[in-house]
Amino acid sequence: MLRILRAFVWLRWRMLLNSLENTGARDRLERFSLAIERLGPIMAAVFLIPSMLGLAIVASAAGYSLGRGDQHSLLFEALRYLLLFIPIASIVGPLFLPAADRTNPVRLLLLPIPRRTLYAAQAATALGDVWTVIVLPIALFVPFGLALAGALDSAVVVLAGGAVFLAVVIGLSALATSVLHLIARDRRRGELLALLFILIIPAVSMLPGLLHGRHSRGAQRRGSATEEVHLPVWVAAAAERAFAVYPSELYVRSARAMPAREVQTAATRLGLLAIIAVAVHAAGMFVFGRILDSPGATGARRSVTARKAWGMTIPGLTPGASAVALAQLRLALRTPRGRSILLSPLVMMAVFAVVVLRRSGGFDLGPVSLNGGLGFASFTSFICLVATLPIVVNQFAVDKAGMTLALLSPLSDEEYLTGKEVGNALIAFPPALISLVAAIGIFRSGSPALWAAVPLALIATYLLISAPAAMLSALFPRLVDLNSIGRSSNAHGLAGLLGMLAFVVAGGSNLIIVLAATKWLERPGLVPILLLGWCAIAFFISRVLFAVARRIFASRRENLALLLSDK
Amino acid sequence: MHLELAVQTTGLTRDFGSFRAVDGIDLVVPAGSLYGFLGPNGAGKSTTIKCLTGLLRPTAGSMMILGTNPIADPVSVKRRIGVVPEDLALFDRLTAQETLTFVAQVHGIDRATAQHRASDLLNLMELKSAGTTLVTDFSHGMRKKLSLAAALLPAPKLLFLDEPFEGIDAVASRQIKDLLLSFVSHGGTIFLTSHILEIVERLSTHIGVIAGGRMVAQGPIADLRAGAGSGKSLEELFIGLVGGDARTPAALDWI
Repeated sequence: MLRILRAFVWLRWRMLLNSLENTGARDRLERFSLAIERLGPIMAAVFLIPSMLGLAIVASAAGYSLGRGDQHSLLFEALRYLLLFIPIASIVGPLFLPAADRTNPVRLLLLPIPRRTLYAAQAATALGDVWTVIVLPIALFVPFGLALAGALDSAVVVLAGGAVFLAVVIGLSALATSVLHLIARDRRRGELLALLFILIIPAVSMLPGLLHGRHSRGAQRRGSATEEVHLPVWVAAAAERAFAVYPSELYVRSARAMPAREVQTAATRLGLLAIIAVAVHAAGMFVFGRILDSPGATGARRSVTARKAWGMTIPGLTPGASAVALAQLRLALRTPRGRSILLSPLVMMAVFAVVVLRRSGGFDLGPVSLNGGLGFASFTSFICLVATLPIVVNQFAVDKAGMTLALLSPLSDEEYLTGKEVGNALIAFPPALISLVAAIGIFRSGSPALWAAVPLALIATYLLISAPAAMLSALFPRLVDLNSIGRSSNAHGLAGLLGMLAFVVAGGSNLIIVLAATKWLERPGLVPILLLGWCAIAFFISRVLFAVARRIFASRRENLALLLSDK
Repeated sequence: MHLELAVQTTGLTRDFGSFRAVDGIDLVVPAGSLYGFLGPNGAGKSTTIKCLTGLLRPTAGSMMILGTNPIADPVSVKRRIGVVPEDLALFDRLTAQETLTFVAQVHGIDRATAQHRASDLLNLMELKSAGTTLVTDFSHGMRKKLSLAAALLPAPKLLFLDEPFEGIDAVASRQIKDLLLSFVSHGGTIFLTSHILEIVERLSTHIGVIAGGRMVAQGPIADLRAGAGSGKSLEELFIGLVGGDARTPAALDWI
């Protein structure tokens, strides 16, 4: 067993080193691109070490306080809140990890290893996860602090509690990974899950903030203190009971009980934690067994309706450019990440609209306060443009092998880039226009001139960012999987950052024009005229930038062609 | 007698940093021939095809494809060639029908002709029932057949096929072989790489052998076999040319 676990540890370590050593870069720019890609994980690792040291010191101090009889030490309370997030992170975290970061069970099945050992090896990979690494200094150094304070027996029990809590976290992570694998091996089910997570998590996570913002603002308007929200008694009681058996709480309460000589309470909590650990690992083994029983991908073949429109040529484009544009649109329509780009701004808009309609007025979004339909429309339609970032700043590599087909085709660079530019516009504009129309329908107030300015501002923004996005896509291509929801579907980090800056600068220029007309000249009627002029200038700028993008693309064409073979 | 050439290279070289993948090869592929381009793994076959099809620029040397310099006029050359590359070059999220529509559009083929040809090809490749299925759900063999259909749709004069028989079943392999012979009999030229020497031996009129990035032999298959001595199979000829020996596992006495 130990020999096999050691082999798996070596395997993970070797894979990590190989990923850092063998860059396979073809030129200086690609070396830079790869270095930037790896900077994130390296920086995270660099920051993690001092963080872990700091956490160890805090845990030691918290343990020492507990040992000296301070049951409600502020430091231990801080650790308690931190630990609250660990079980959740261990369940949700595997969803956002690239599949390659986990050991492939199909490959494992070929090895002459018993199933239990395979499960142990699979579960042990969770030891490298951030949420597990955070538990380690707490589990080790709270007992250390207790021992320093002279409570040796408590230290031993709390150390055991920490080990059991760690086992629960690892078990949850392994179980979540296996369940995810079981769901995602049916490709259609996996894509649906990905789409749900992309759409629902952001929407749900925004609701409390939005509602709270309105709630606080309402309270402020009335000049009263923040009102308390009362839950029904049975809900509060059930929540309290559930919270008492939450793994991190069991660990915390057992750790508090021991120094206070409440041995029975500590033992009960620890026993419950152990039962949870056993149950989680039993469930994990069961699900892992199901994967090993039939490890292959399943799922029926998907058919799509043949639409005549797909065979048509977009007016104003050559047939080749039109084909590229329609292929780009279909990519967005048929991948979870692409669909999320099309749908998530609309979901966000719906959430905002519900909040606004319920509370009649504007809403707060962090430091930004949006009031009235124009602000709402400008914000949501701009979000629709920004949401396309993962595809727009990686517009060539998202096609994967399809990119090779395009590069082998008798398309001039201009046709290919134009097709991509139009295709990206087809992805970005429909949701933006739907947002705009919905905003007009909801609010029906404000100057028509200012309403007309919103689509003009969108056009000017898109014209200004399309060529830089093509440049970034050619310079920093990244092979991505638009079927996944994690990092593996994001564009290159630097392309994403620079792309976002380009969006902000391009969008900001419109804002300056609107401010100039409304605040300084005090003539709102001028806004659409000025923006129309700005669109013309933006078009001219975009053509100049497009020529540069074409040159950059020509010089990086070979690099793009080799991206798949990774020569 | 002047021999019309579909592909001609002189000193074709391609470096990847300090590594020379293709080292000054002179290819001579007569028009109307089925040219088998052979070599051991890592010999430089795929890199050569990538240079010839315009995916890579040669580090040195010159090329003429169907009488045109592909570096000076790549679009004109691409209009007249079809390629099945090693990654098969297919959009995952298009259907078979849409893939062929895409190819027809980028080649500027009118819709009626495109539909007619697509229908013929999907029938021939037995992909008709999968016409509306996304490529991502295709098996490897289906992808290979679709890639070949996409290469054939514009009715090219020259086909570049990188390992067309790898990973496909016997029935599909037979269909593809018949299709390729028919293509050549109609005046087309095929430049193919394959590790399956029996197939190359049966189909090819000419072969070229590359090893370590260098051409070690080239010419009509009959001439090469005659030069090597009577009764030699292509496998024996190939092993002799690339410097391999018939190593027996005698040293592995622990097996």
